[in-house]
Amino acid sequence: MAKYIVKRILTAIPMVFIITIICFSFIHFAPYDAIDSMTNPKMSQETIDLIRAKYGYDQPLYVQYIRWIQGMLGGNFGYSIVTHQSIADDLVTRIPNTIKLILPAYLTAYILSIILGLIAGSHKNKWPDKLIDGLASIGIATPTFWVAMLLIYFFGYKLKVLPIIGMHTIGMEDSFVDYIKHFIMPYIVLTLGFLPDSIRYVRSSTITQYSEDYVMVQNAFGASKREIMFKHVCKNVLLPIITKLGMALPLLVTGAIITETIFGWPGIGPYFIKAIQGMDYPIVMAILVLSSTLVILGNLLSDILYCITDPRIREMG
Amino acid sequence: MILKKLKRLTALLCVSVLTISMLSGCSKDPTGEEDNLNSTTNSTTTGQNANTFTYAIAGDPGSNVNVITTSDRFGLMTIKMIYSPLLMYNADGENWFLAKSVDVSDDNLTYTFHLRDDVKWSDGEPFTADDVVFTYNAMKDEKNAGWAYSQLVYDQGSVEITKVDDYTVAMTMPFVNASALEMLSNIFIMPEHIYKDVTDFENNDYNMNPVGTGPYVMSEYSAGSYVKFTKNDNYFLGTPNIDNIVFQVIENSNTAMLAIQSGEINAWIATPSEVQQMKIDENNLKTVAYSEGRIGYLMLNANRITDEKVRQAILYALNKDEINQACFLSSENYETPWSFIPPGNTYFTEEIEKYEQNIEKSKELLSEAGVSGLKIKLAYGSSDPVQQKQAVMIQEQLGKAGITVELAGGDATAISNAMKKADNEYDAYLGGYIMGIDPDTFASLFESDAAFNYMHYDYPEIDELFEQGRKETDPEKRKEIYTNLQQAIQKTGCFYPITSNKRILVISKNVTGIEEAKLVPVYTFEDTSKLKMK
Repeated sequence: MAKYIVKRILTAIPMVFIITIICFSFIHFAPYDAIDSMTNPKMSQETIDLIRAKYGYDQPLYVQYIRWIQGMLGGNFGYSIVTHQSIADDLVTRIPNTIKLILPAYLTAYILSIILGLIAGSHKNKWPDKLIDGLASIGIATPTFWVAMLLIYFFGYKLKVLPIIGMHTIGMEDSFVDYIKHFIMPYIVLTLGFLPDSIRYVRSSTITQYSEDYVMVQNAFGASKREIMFKHVCKNVLLPIITKLGMALPLLVTGAIITETIFGWPGIGPYFIKAIQGMDYPIVMAILVLSSTLVILGNLLSDILYCITDPRIREMG
Repeated sequence: MILKKLKRLTALLCVSVLTISMLSGCSKDPTGEEDNLNSTTNSTTTGQNANTFTYAIAGDPGSNVNVITTSDRFGLMTIKMIYSPLLMYNADGENWFLAKSVDVSDDNLTYTFHLRDDVKWSDGEPFTADDVVFTYNAMKDEKNAGWAYSQLVYDQGSVEITKVDDYTVAMTMPFVNASALEMLSNIFIMPEHIYKDVTDFENNDYNMNPVGTGPYVMSEYSAGSYVKFTKNDNYFLGTPNIDNIVFQVIENSNTAMLAIQSGEINAWIATPSEVQQMKIDENNLKTVAYSEGRIGYLMLNANRITDEKVRQAILYALNKDEINQACFLSSENYETPWSFIPPGNTYFTEEIEKYEQNIEKSKELLSEAGVSGLKIKLAYGSSDPVQQKQAVMIQEQLGKAGITVELAGGDATAISNAMKKADNEYDAYLGGYIMGIDPDTFASLFESDAAFNYMHYDYPEIDELFEQGRKETDPEKRKEIYTNLQQAIQKTGCFYPITSNKRILVISKNVTGIEEAKLVPVYTFEDTSKLKMK
């Protein structure tokens, strides 16, 4: 198994490098000039050339790439070209904020979806299934920003029971109650956002398992419904769901871009959106590379989890 | 069997949760940033009765602000809170801050500033002429790439800055320039005793712990959330009335709209249609519209529409009042410009060709030019609701004169990049600019070979007039030159100013003193110390 894991890790490394090249060249081919975000028509051409040279944008593309990748490898993500802040420092303060929001929401959605999905799948075409599946379908079709605005409108504006923006009231950074008050609305929005998709996933995999031959055999032997569900079906359903956990890794960074932006939550979302609007290339590239690396790592993690939990795959490796 | 599996599963889950919480734990590791910030607030008033004014802004200004390198709107707003310039130069003239007055030499080259002698930096050091000399020299140093470099360094040479005594500084222009005072204004002064050994003004530890002469001191910064300022009790224009000012970052305008109505924030810049959706009175709010001297325009590409008559025909078919009413709902929200200079500017004139709508004349001109079935391609920023509306209305109005408009909406930045190239594919574009007060500051957009001349015309007489205006110091003669210039530019038929729209500040009713604080471009308030809050 160790051999298998090492093999997977080794194939992941060149993929990360290819991703950096793709990110870098795509941004380069965008119809902008990085210098535009730092200049304005009041500046003379000489000033603009000065700034261009200062940031190294006058160098050939491959030189820029090598410099950039060297920085990334050394943990130096560069500086924002709009606010001149260190990107690494910004990410270090913002990523935990995002994780604090997404992790509880995702775990809640994860556990709820297993329960609801199993109920729906085991009652295929009966009323609990129709209810859960119907709600999940509506949920998939509902945009999160709309749910967020509705919550803000009712709880923040009409009833005035919850604060609308940010993570803390200024001056109350240490108050846990204050944090929970700010946390509750985005948490609900995100949980509702993650839930429907996972429910349908669990449901369909439960239905598939119920149609397997071993269920028919168990029925023939006279096993109770409970026994079939918890002893046999559940086990097989949970396997692919565990791997879904690995795939969720990139969500920790980019899973709440819209929700965070709406609630003014100081995470990655507003930071990324602002960088895109302001053509702040170094930030856009850093986040692109970070999130695509997490996708690769997430896949790797899924494979390893699968390998650990499923003896069939372990023996194959 | 199942139990065993489940155990392993829970173990795995636990491990992953642990790693993640460790990660978030690590990042909280004190970088020293917050502690340092707190230690610089030597004049804090965080009593329980302290009042706080919260102003919502749409982007994070960052805490790494520097008077030389910061040039983005929110960064400059932060700079304005903590630093002071010698003087501010706005549409209403000069307002004096660190300087008391200026003497101009007889040859119109040397400007001698008399500085205040009662100003202290927020760390207690006295402010002197050395700080001024230091800042201006840093600004004109090529390697710092400061935002005002081109205001101090010209083809003819650079501005000489000399200390006369501790409270007098002389600045000598390399040539007679009528807009010199404007060029020397709005530059914020940084403390020499703090920055004297700094080589990189953009990134250094001092930027995070600013020592200034402004009305407020930066007391807290939370990335992506807010910047908090506490009043500077030693502010040289009098102790500020409001104890704390917070710039709260809200990116999403719908959220900001509800937050200001719920009272969570006190002020925010809104668009006319947003104001229309809000319950202003009911929620104890008021609106104040103010001009930023912006001009929203339609430009015709002289490279593609080469015939002056055809261009004029297009302009005669337009009706800007109709467009403005549709875009800005009420005439309180905009002013109507007739030339490249915004209304309200001393050089603004109405004695020019206004291209008031005249479909007959438009058709006449087209037939004179021998053009029929004219088709033009209009570029505009498709994410800008105002430009969208303008484009559609232009299409409709020109349609009535028999001119077909192909709408080419796209990303605003991509379009403005395309506009710079002389051989771009667009016949016309929508755009806007905010330049300075002096008409010479518009030269970079309107001189024939200027870097930002998107019309790509070639009129030597326009360049000649700009050249004359720059050198002339007699106000009467200058006014005449710029009147001629505005007439000349209008005659080309390349430039059609549509609107000079205002920014609308939505603010709590209990905030007063807005007039004394003055609403100005970029910074919103010229002096926040004058604001009052009940």
